[in-house]
Amino acid sequence: MKWIRAVVSLLIAAAIFWGLDNRHGLVPPAGKLLNPFAGFWQNGTRGDTPLADLAVPGLRDEVRVAWDARHVPHVFAANDHDLYFAQGYITARDRLWQMEFQARYSAGRLAEVIGRAGLESDRFNRRFGLGWAAERAVEAMSRDPKARESVEAYADGINAFTGGLRRKDYPVEYKILDYSPEAWTLLDTALLLKYMAYDLTGYNDERWMTAAKKALGEAALDELFPFEPPKFVDPIIPPGTAWDFTPVPLPKPGEPAAPGGTKDPAFRASPPRPRSRATPPDPDRPEVGSNNWAVSGARTKSGHPLLANDPHLRLTLPSIWYEIQLSAPGTNAAGISLPGTPLVIIGHNDRIAWGFTNGGDDVLDWYAVRFRDESRGEYLYDGAWRKTSVRSEVIKVRGERPVVDRVIYTHHGPVVWLEGEPEPANKSIPAGAALRWTAHDPSNEFLTFYRLNRAGDYDGYLEALASWECPAQNFVYADADGTVAIWHNGKFPLRPKGQGRYILDGSNPADEWTGRVPYAHNPHVKNPPRGFVGSANQKPADASYPYYLGWDYASFERGTRIVEVLAGMKDITPEDMVRMQSDTLSVRARMALPRLLREIRDRDLTAAERWALNELKGWNFENLAGLAAPTIFSQFWSDFNEETWNDEKKGDLWGMRWPRSEVVIDIILNHPDSAYFDDKATPQRETMGDIANAAFRASVRTLQSKCGPPGRSWTWGEWRKAGIGHLGRIPGFGREKLAMNGGGNALNASGPGFGPSWRMVVELGPEVKAWGIYPGGQSGNPGSRFYDDMVDDWLAGKPDELVFLKSVGEPHPGIVARTTLRGGK
Amino acid sequence: MIAVLACALVMLVLQVLTPFWWWVMIVPFVYGAAAAKSGWQALRTGLFSACLLWLGAGLYLFLAGSRIIAGRVAKMFGLGQSWLMVLVTALVAAVAAGVSGYAGYAIRAIFKPAKPKGAG
Repeated sequence: MKWIRAVVSLLIAAAIFWGLDNRHGLVPPAGKLLNPFAGFWQNGTRGDTPLADLAVPGLRDEVRVAWDARHVPHVFAANDHDLYFAQGYITARDRLWQMEFQARYSAGRLAEVIGRAGLESDRFNRRFGLGWAAERAVEAMSRDPKARESVEAYADGINAFTGGLRRKDYPVEYKILDYSPEAWTLLDTALLLKYMAYDLTGYNDERWMTAAKKALGEAALDELFPFEPPKFVDPIIPPGTAWDFTPVPLPKPGEPAAPGGTKDPAFRASPPRPRSRATPPDPDRPEVGSNNWAVSGARTKSGHPLLANDPHLRLTLPSIWYEIQLSAPGTNAAGISLPGTPLVIIGHNDRIAWGFTNGGDDVLDWYAVRFRDESRGEYLYDGAWRKTSVRSEVIKVRGERPVVDRVIYTHHGPVVWLEGEPEPANKSIPAGAALRWTAHDPSNEFLTFYRLNRAGDYDGYLEALASWECPAQNFVYADADGTVAIWHNGKFPLRPKGQGRYILDGSNPADEWTGRVPYAHNPHVKNPPRGFVGSANQKPADASYPYYLGWDYASFERGTRIVEVLAGMKDITPEDMVRMQSDTLSVRARMALPRLLREIRDRDLTAAERWALNELKGWNFENLAGLAAPTIFSQFWSDFNEETWNDEKKGDLWGMRWPRSEVVIDIILNHPDSAYFDDKATPQRETMGDIANAAFRASVRTLQSKCGPPGRSWTWGEWRKAGIGHLGRIPGFGREKLAMNGGGNALNASGPGFGPSWRMVVELGPEVKAWGIYPGGQSGNPGSRFYDDMVDDWLAGKPDELVFLKSVGEPHPGIVARTTLRGGK
Repeated sequence: MIAVLACALVMLVLQVLTPFWWWVMIVPFVYGAAAAKSGWQALRTGLFSACLLWLGAGLYLFLAGSRIIAGRVAKMFGLGQSWLMVLVTALVAAVAAGVSGYAGYAIRAIFKPAKPKGAG
């Protein structure tokens, strides 16, 4: 009896011990987590107090930090090494888990900490070659002493912080997921940049375009997805700008390879399978929505140039950005940094300001590969068999045996998905094709940031841009002397028009990239007569530009809006720029809706339809959270496209997108009799009016079924309510539903989970003034007051005036604390 | 009562000095195996000492800056209110410590000669 009692009670105690000490699936180890002395209770607001004076081994000299009321550090160091060392240390203090998790994600090492659930994304990121690319980037950055010093010192700073951590000091996510921080390396920093490159240039359409070409013919695609947009579309570089270079000759388009090659390869590779709406056909992508512009002093009230930038990205908490000022002899820059990488990424110094929007060019191609046999040891190239190489990726899986993935590389790059394997979550990947991507080429983007942080004039900016390759960006620029400029900048393959629009032939040398567009020939303009420059991810230049860079740019609305608003303003103030960033006008609706409404027959309308029609008729085209019209238009536009294009898309073209809005609007306004409106499935011929009426009724039905009877639940804010989720998707760690103004094609582009990740306005001149805000807060600690404290003002479109110190001792009402870091043993 | 306070004090010291949560199981276990007079006493002492310590510490931290994180963790666990985490924390410690104290006593009881009937 005693034995039984002892054994049973011991077993129960052991079970409780085991249960509380270990993670179970995604349920955290409750004993560790709840322990008031080392668990989550230790992640309170204590870290909100600025860092106390302390000795940090590794610093060469004294570093002084002033903290402003928004918990932004202003770092003053005696040399570059100490500056970036301190940046690493301070950023780690606020954002350690985030930077490590993001690098881990990029490396394909998620399963190591979250278990099997991370395996698919790990395999995919490794197949895509992000780790391989990062390794090559480390080599490239190591060749430049300046870039290397900043990246190394930054890593040392992070490790100086992590080395001093006790378990109770770990960010709470480590405690929930039950693992420990690792030492930071140069590779981690490079991985973050490659992740950004994937996020911004990884999107492509070759798979669907190739299938569509087979079904519809190339002529139809050239009409629906034209290389040159309709006349009313504004490119980034103002039409009429003279090109200040002599173009190099373009390579000739590839001739079909010898018999046995893989011309027309997609149909050897598996065709896309029909599936109901697995990818949204709407071409507006989350990363598309960024704006930037700069206005010359001739158009501003103060006479000084103004620069504005709001890069749009997927939004998460902790926020992707960390605000910081970095000053040392030769540099004094402020703005946002990317946790895990040194330097200021977007911002200004006392002379210049700069910002980015994504380029959207085609820098990623797929080459269909013909393997000799099932071993995939050889592939056909130029009439002969070449050996493939294999990179063995060992994916550690928590609680299980490691998974080894043999990734096959041709000279083009990795083969991401092999026929017969489960299809990746990213549906744009063609089976059996090798990936050629500029982000795989060794490059040193850090040097660009290093030089931008220090540039004092236009020449300095140009020098900085020269080392930038991928992801290609629109670099907007303004300086204290009054120059404004924009460069559509990156490494672009030198290629015949249209190359890479469809899957290329991996056996045909004529389909290869033969070189790059010379850097100085990238589209650019300096001080245009109209007095401003700007970009919104749209096509960089008109047909006069001699090189082909891509075809799949953002739709035209925001670009048009920037031009019309800036052209219509005089005596522009920073407040005007702030208002403009929150502009909600839908150019799409303004152009298309009046014409479509003329088609709506108002006989036989139901009460709901009549209500919806009146909302649309009385609408001023502003996408405001309190209005129902934006919701109705958005659904109407979607149904109108659906009704128009679905018969063209046919059975297995589910992944094919709708044509861009400028093409659809061009047809609506200028070709209303187009045969595209005819539904091929019916015997009679449908007109635009038939389609518009059907779409309008369908959209009202949809809204009624989703939102109930017309009223408050139909408003834009309610319809699109979305929160900002936690980076690791931990429930309760994000921000709950937010009713946002704006929308996909307004300047204030936002939507579920994406939006302006940073809004900045800078006024240059003798005194630099800047305003900025991002949807989050400086601290990555979910228990901090600074975790999401900027979200409400961000939502309201109210940026803060930013503190920019000339010296660390400068008295400033915004500074709340000062810290001295000294070198130590 | 003295045993409860003594156990709580020992746990407090060990928990401050080390990051391990399981002192709230080890200390009651040792107490149960070495000093408790009955299984019930071992259970009770473990339960109250650990509950006292984690409730006190949790409550102190809740009031001293950890309310926000408690609210988020409560949401993660599907609980509505941040203060519930103080109770959950104390409850987990109490159950783990009570069972462990009892197990400690039960192990010792194997080696203890049975008490003569009518004694004590």
